[in-house]
Amino acid sequence: MLEAIFAGLMALATPQAMIFMIIGVSYGLMIGILPGLGGIVAIALLLPFTYGHERAATLALLLGAHIATIWGGSVTSILFKVPGAAKSLALVFDGHPMTQQGHASRALGASATAALLGGLIGAVFLAFSIPIVRPVMLALGPSEYLMMALWGLTIIATFSEGSLLKGMIATLAGIMAAYVGMDPVSGTPRFWFGSVYLLDGISFPVAMIGLFAVAEMIKLFVKGNTLVSRVSGEEQSSVFDGVKDAFRHWWLVVRSSLLGLWVGVLPGVGASVGGIAAYAQAAQTSKTPERFGKGAVEGVIAPDATLGANEGGGLMPTLAFGIPGGESMAILLVAFLSMGIVPGPQMLTSELDLVFSMVWIIVIANIITTLIGLAISSRLARLPTLNPNIMIPFVLSVCLFGAFATRGLIEDVLVAAFFGGLGYLMDKYQYSRANFVIGMVLAEMIERNLHISLGLYGDFFILTRPITLAMLVFIIFTTALPFIRQQRHKKNKQANE
Amino acid sequence: MSKILLDVNLLSRHGKYLKILLIAVLYTFVFSTITRAESIKGEIVTIISANSAGGMMTRYARMIAPYIKKHSGAADVRIKIMTGGGGIRGTNFLWFEEPDGKTIAFTSIPSLILAQLSGSEAVQFDATDLTYLGRAATEPRVLTVGATSSILNINDARTLDRPFIFPSQGTDEDFYSMAVLADVLDMEIKIINGYDGNSDTALAVIKGDGDGHITGWSASEAIIEAGDERPILTLSQERYRLYPNIPTALEVVEGDSRQAVQAIVNMLDMRRGFFGPPNLDPIATEELRMAISAALNDPELIEQSKLAGLPLLPSDGKAEQQKIGQITEASQIIVPILEAALHAIL
Repeated sequence: MLEAIFAGLMALATPQAMIFMIIGVSYGLMIGILPGLGGIVAIALLLPFTYGHERAATLALLLGAHIATIWGGSVTSILFKVPGAAKSLALVFDGHPMTQQGHASRALGASATAALLGGLIGAVFLAFSIPIVRPVMLALGPSEYLMMALWGLTIIATFSEGSLLKGMIATLAGIMAAYVGMDPVSGTPRFWFGSVYLLDGISFPVAMIGLFAVAEMIKLFVKGNTLVSRVSGEEQSSVFDGVKDAFRHWWLVVRSSLLGLWVGVLPGVGASVGGIAAYAQAAQTSKTPERFGKGAVEGVIAPDATLGANEGGGLMPTLAFGIPGGESMAILLVAFLSMGIVPGPQMLTSELDLVFSMVWIIVIANIITTLIGLAISSRLARLPTLNPNIMIPFVLSVCLFGAFATRGLIEDVLVAAFFGGLGYLMDKYQYSRANFVIGMVLAEMIERNLHISLGLYGDFFILTRPITLAMLVFIIFTTALPFIRQQRHKKNKQANE
Repeated sequence: MSKILLDVNLLSRHGKYLKILLIAVLYTFVFSTITRAESIKGEIVTIISANSAGGMMTRYARMIAPYIKKHSGAADVRIKIMTGGGGIRGTNFLWFEEPDGKTIAFTSIPSLILAQLSGSEAVQFDATDLTYLGRAATEPRVLTVGATSSILNINDARTLDRPFIFPSQGTDEDFYSMAVLADVLDMEIKIINGYDGNSDTALAVIKGDGDGHITGWSASEAIIEAGDERPILTLSQERYRLYPNIPTALEVVEGDSRQAVQAIVNMLDMRRGFFGPPNLDPIATEELRMAISAALNDPELIEQSKLAGLPLLPSDGKAEQQKIGQITEASQIIVPILEAALHAIL
């Protein structure tokens, strides 16, 4: 194994591989920063340029670009409340409040470091968990995925402060929005009003662009002030405070990374669900869950560590079974086949050096991304202090272009504008936008997996599937934990008085 | 009033010249229209890619378009993306286009036919009336079972003492193909819908949650090679050259059932194809069929397709049109089966 680890690294020690890696990372950062575009687009656009080069160099280009998009997406979530991709959504919840409080540099530093640590931990655990990947994949099924989605749903309580009813209404509205289009089970059109455009459903990245970015720009226009006051933006913290935060919360990073790794390994569980689940476990295991949603740095660290580790996990089913762990891995699989790489168990034996080349690419690409990220974070952090006369047209044009670019449909621009208005009104009347998108992300996953579980395992599947039952108990426990802590805190306070 | 009378007089005086002028204008209009309809040479041809911008279909269309231009004499061949409804949006648009050969489309033909046969409310076209111009690529669909399954061949699947569990990602061509197969083979099946793509159904079969699933060879080859799945039946005209021991669905059915299976196989066989609006001008049809055929047999394109990992398996437009005829004939047998399959999951 040590030989394979070394051979994998040596395959990357060529000028072509290193140049390709740097090109891939730089390009990935740019794509990631553009709203609505993520790793899938980055790899798809690179595919035509991957023929006739060294295998390791080609993989460095593709995987490097894919990994860099993760942090690129986090940047806009933190600075402008614009998730670069669906999976960066959870970064909005606490990242942007940190920016508003003048801690943008710290948030960016924490985000880049958490993504790096997540990537490294994910890569190391990936290397060691190669022998157990198959049994774990085969042990978990739709009923366990359902539990994972339900776990993500428990986080809505965090964003329902003030009125649980309003929080529930926002979540239900998100679920309703997710039901527009074809039913994933029977193919029956729902809420489509005779429009073929609506038959494909509402694009999630487009809705996010509207709900957050466009709504924030409307708010800014109405308020007539900068997104963040120049004074608070400059004075409050530094990038290295964020770096220290990530190391200070090392146990959270480890937990989130392992979660991200396994979310990546399991096909059918998207990275956006993983980000929300990571956020949920960070909030539910925190001693001060009330800080979440208001600028808690742990709310930035957990999702970024998960996303960093997720990519390595996604490689496993792609390599071990030829089953892509997600859409971007499906495109990567096409590239593998055109390079003569045939996925299967033999990848983990006879082609182990190539597998380790990929693990090394994840490590090196994460390091390069973080170095670039830390170097530019303090400058990026100044962007939200721009005059609104520059900021509003700039952000709006980039976002609406992003909305169009996701599917090339002009209707998506109109939908982004509609969700912008909706997001502004929700914010004004204190209906949580976070709950809306959580409902939207998890609705389909819950619907699919509930239907499959009932069909496969019967009505009492929760009781007949031991892992499912254990996960349900865990969900009940982690959901109750903050309330138990609160009660204890009250009792202690009363006892002291 | 006097001015109008004057004009009438003027008209009667110059009536002869005006008649000549009117005939000349009409002649020019009619002649130019006929000329435009006759040939696509020197014209701009637009190919509607009815799928996503970065998807496989659009990648095929973009790769082939320059070669259609080369072999057709068209001034340019452009791609217009019209994503939506699994190809329905782009095809709806094409349906109302002028049949002059200047606008054609490229998408998954089985998806269109099934959308129509299953009574999708979004469909505004009649797939049997479209003008088929040629197939770019297809691959056999294959029914695979898990490597650890007790089902070793199609007969084992037919004689199971319980329903054959078929994980499916939705009401796509594989769902309907399995419904028809089960009907004609007298198999009891339980379709579990809602899986998130081929990867998810493959994992369900490997795990043993499902008995078998249908997918394309390219998607299943790596899994079969890895020893995680076993092919038991192909839905193709002939046996697949890499697995000559695996029978085709046509070999295991007899009598009237054969017509239904043949229709399904024909439909799956049409896969990635070019087509035009109904009643496409015969000359434009001929030119486009020849140009598409020549493009798909161009050695340069064949080489490029290998490099891009987009394999070609061309078929002539006339042959594709004949398959549509057979599908229409068999639709009376197929439609009730499709409706029953859909009803079973609702």
